[in-house]
Amino acid sequence: MGFFQRLLNLDRRWLYLLVGIIAIIGLKAPLKLPIKVTEEVQALYDRVESLEPGDVILVSFDYGPSTAPENDPMADVLIRHALTRDLRVVALALYPIGGAAEGIEELRRCVGEDLNPSEGVLASSVFEGKSYGVDYIYLGYKDGGLATMRQMNDRLHETFPADYFGTPITDYPLGRDVTGYGDVAFCFSVATGIIGEWWANLVNAQYGLPVAVGCTAVSAPKYFAYYKAGQMFSLLGGLKGAAEYEGLVRSNYDRIEELTNADVYNASKASVIQAFVYSLITFFIILGNIGFLLERRRQRNL
Amino acid sequence: MSPETIGIWVAAFFTLSIFSFLYKDNPFFRFAESVFAGVSLGYYIWQTFDQTVVPNVILKLVQDKPAAFVSWDWWTLIIPMLLGLILYMRYVPKIAWVNRFALAIYVGYYAAVEMMQKLQGEVLPQSADTIVSLTHGWGEIGVWFGAIVSTIGVLSVLVYFFFSAEHKGFVGSVSKVGIWFLMISFGAAFGYTIMGRISILVGRVVFLMSEWLKLG
Repeated sequence: MGFFQRLLNLDRRWLYLLVGIIAIIGLKAPLKLPIKVTEEVQALYDRVESLEPGDVILVSFDYGPSTAPENDPMADVLIRHALTRDLRVVALALYPIGGAAEGIEELRRCVGEDLNPSEGVLASSVFEGKSYGVDYIYLGYKDGGLATMRQMNDRLHETFPADYFGTPITDYPLGRDVTGYGDVAFCFSVATGIIGEWWANLVNAQYGLPVAVGCTAVSAPKYFAYYKAGQMFSLLGGLKGAAEYEGLVRSNYDRIEELTNADVYNASKASVIQAFVYSLITFFIILGNIGFLLERRRQRNL
Repeated sequence: MSPETIGIWVAAFFTLSIFSFLYKDNPFFRFAESVFAGVSLGYYIWQTFDQTVVPNVILKLVQDKPAAFVSWDWWTLIIPMLLGLILYMRYVPKIAWVNRFALAIYVGYYAAVEMMQKLQGEVLPQSADTIVSLTHGWGEIGVWFGAIVSTIGVLSVLVYFFFSAEHKGFVGSVSKVGIWFLMISFGAAFGYTIMGRISILVGRVVFLMSEWLKLG
């Protein structure tokens, strides 16, 4: 049995093991790969940079823990970028299986793990001078998807009478200031699945709110159609999109560079591991195809 | 041992249990799979109750009680709530037919809402974006080439899915081009899928190495 024939009959579990080992090597590798920023990612950075201090952005947590490795870095870097630029952030969640938990976890990671409005801990321990209810607020999860998005247009206070912690949102200045999409500069949906699409084909199409989406790689091909048609002004596709945006923000803001470096997991680190695993997979795809062609030729010659 | 440490160990146990399926199906995987499904459903039910039903229905009804029957807002809560409860009538065989009324209203409502949304938010803008000018891009060869590829791709794929004419001769050749476009787009989608799956693996590897074993 030749080398390629043996390779074609190789138990796939050896490949799984190899992928795992390569991923661990990638984690330990002291590499920093150059990342080219694409126009769809640059658009989000430029839009945040173009806003005036005090402008409000909506961040919708439309994903759960199952896709957190792709979506978490997108949400983190956008919130940090926005707060550094003195923008105000209204966060909410529309994804039923874990959206609410992701929202509070990422908000705490960005503004301080000690955030606890229920016990009066409102000030950010990370961004000096920033405070819950003034510079950022978390409205929590709301069921209903499309119906919720429709009502939020001009009746945000009815849709979200209370924030995640059960406090009426009108008790906070930021909650009072935002009554619907008209008070928001743009929405960034950090999405898995279809909810990001709804922001484009319902909220952008019917209410005109500019929309950007950070989606999982699996959904990216579908989302690119919306981006190309101008239904969203920016698109971060998977971990690659997250790494591009993170790299762009980190290179321009030392403070965010410092905060991101302190994270156990971030898009830059993950993209290095991803590159290692891709290289292995690509190598095996090439090897497998060569083996397949040689085997076919051998059988023809028999 | 702090609650956080216990949480990390539990998460590591379930992560490894799920990964064990890569070797072969086993009781640890089955256990983790069942726990995951159960916890997800329980979490969803609680989140919906705590974050939607309580603030948007129960508290509003309790707080607005004095204004009750004369208030239209009050009825906009009561009617959908009753429709929701009627759905559960299907579990009472004698009056199971009642749930069809609620179901019919939901289906009708969403059909109407979705129809407008699909037309305004998908069909029209996506069609408009597909109708590209072949002359506007003369100055930029990339734009022009993209428009040509897009036009050929859309037309050939449409021909491929046109089954009223036999796929022979000219129609057959064009539909073969359509197959190539479909295969390339499926390939791109599959590539992105692998990218997504690897990202999830990376997340778990970082968790196991950095948070659990403290090695990274």
